[in-house]
Amino acid sequence: MKNFLKQHGIWVLFAAAVIAVALALMSYFSNTSSPLANLAGAVTSPFRVAYTAVAGWFNDQQDHFRSYQDLEEKNAALEKQIAEMEDDVRQAKSDSDENARLRELLNLREKRKDFEFEPAFITERSASNWTSSLTLNRGTAHGVAVGDCVITEAGYLVGVVSDVGVNWCTVLTVLDTDTSMGAQVFRTDDIGVAQGDFTLMKEGKLKLSYLPEESNLLNGDLVLTSGQGGYYPSGLVIGSVDVVKQEDSGSAQYAVLTPKADLNDLSEVFVIKSFDIVN
Amino acid sequence: MAARNETIFKWVLYLCAAFALFLLQGFLLQYLTIFGAMPFLYLVPVALLAMFEGPLSGSLYGLVLGVLFDLTIAGPIPCFYTLILPLAGLCAGLISQNLLPAGLLCSLVDTVAVFVMTDVFHCLVLALAGKAAWTAGALTALRETGATLPFVLLAYPLFRTVFRRCHRDDPHPVL
Repeated sequence: MKNFLKQHGIWVLFAAAVIAVALALMSYFSNTSSPLANLAGAVTSPFRVAYTAVAGWFNDQQDHFRSYQDLEEKNAALEKQIAEMEDDVRQAKSDSDENARLRELLNLREKRKDFEFEPAFITERSASNWTSSLTLNRGTAHGVAVGDCVITEAGYLVGVVSDVGVNWCTVLTVLDTDTSMGAQVFRTDDIGVAQGDFTLMKEGKLKLSYLPEESNLLNGDLVLTSGQGGYYPSGLVIGSVDVVKQEDSGSAQYAVLTPKADLNDLSEVFVIKSFDIVN
Repeated sequence: MAARNETIFKWVLYLCAAFALFLLQGFLLQYLTIFGAMPFLYLVPVALLAMFEGPLSGSLYGLVLGVLFDLTIAGPIPCFYTLILPLAGLCAGLISQNLLPAGLLCSLVDTVAVFVMTDVFHCLVLALAGKAAWTAGALTALRETGATLPFVLLAYPLFRTVFRRCHRDDPHPVL
């Protein structure tokens, strides 16, 4: 190499100078980039494309990951929002139901200003197959006493308090065999005794006994508490006449009643703590 | 002293076993209806304990649980369970002592016996109150017993475990 440069160095230098001058002249007179730059560009172009493609792929992946993360966050936020909205809807439904109950109770309150109510929630239903009872979350601490009537917001009789503690009470429903109260047929004013009957209890019905011989009851007749004796308030709706039958002895007739209160679908009830006795 | 401690320990274990069944009843079975009746596990511990421990222990256990039930479950008359459960325990104990060897079959028979006695007493109380309902009562008793019997299969191993745990040193262990 050294020898080559010693022998031909001057020619190499000359050739380089000629090429340089030629390139300079071409660059000066050409509208495009210089041939060297052109050449360099042409050679590096595939690499640039590859680099751009790889970089683009990485950017895409990064963007994808970032957008996936964003989507996940948005999804989580939306799920939370939906859950909150569903909760609000449930609350609104519950409030709406309670509102309807309270409106009905307000109507009843306006009709029966003598009633003093204690709202209560049902905490347990019948604990055995032989009774029909409810346990409420109100007791002596709230002024509830044995013998108090329990009604729905619409004024339908649910039962009578049979046992009471500080913060609880047991209610025997109108279906229970131990429940018995004076009753009056709304249409005919016939007086009888509404009482639970074990045979009918399983069917969700009760019995209206001791009806006068001349009574002429019709299917659907409304039966209310008579209030006689002053133990229970008058005018509470017990149920409606389902069918009229003869006692086994054949001496008297009785009616089978369907209670107006839907005992299987109750959640909140109202205990009547005091009322005016009507003679 | 050691014997007394063991006796206390045994009865505590039996009460815990009964309590486990009461929890099952309160949390689950109270809301179930099988054959048109709710399973009534409250009576099962009396039958099982009487079978394992004999008539006297069965009566005493029945008395304790009867008082407990009368305080917590609405009955047709005051002391309903206090009156009937000692008798039911005695009857169940006598069955396992004289008729059938203690085991799964005996536990089922004892449970049926306890239910029959309790439900006949229910019907009797209704009849004495002038509200006789023998047919409906018999039907309810049948449904209630039928709904409860499958759960005896669950309760039996529990009481057997307690019995085995407390009678490890017996010369002639039953079962």
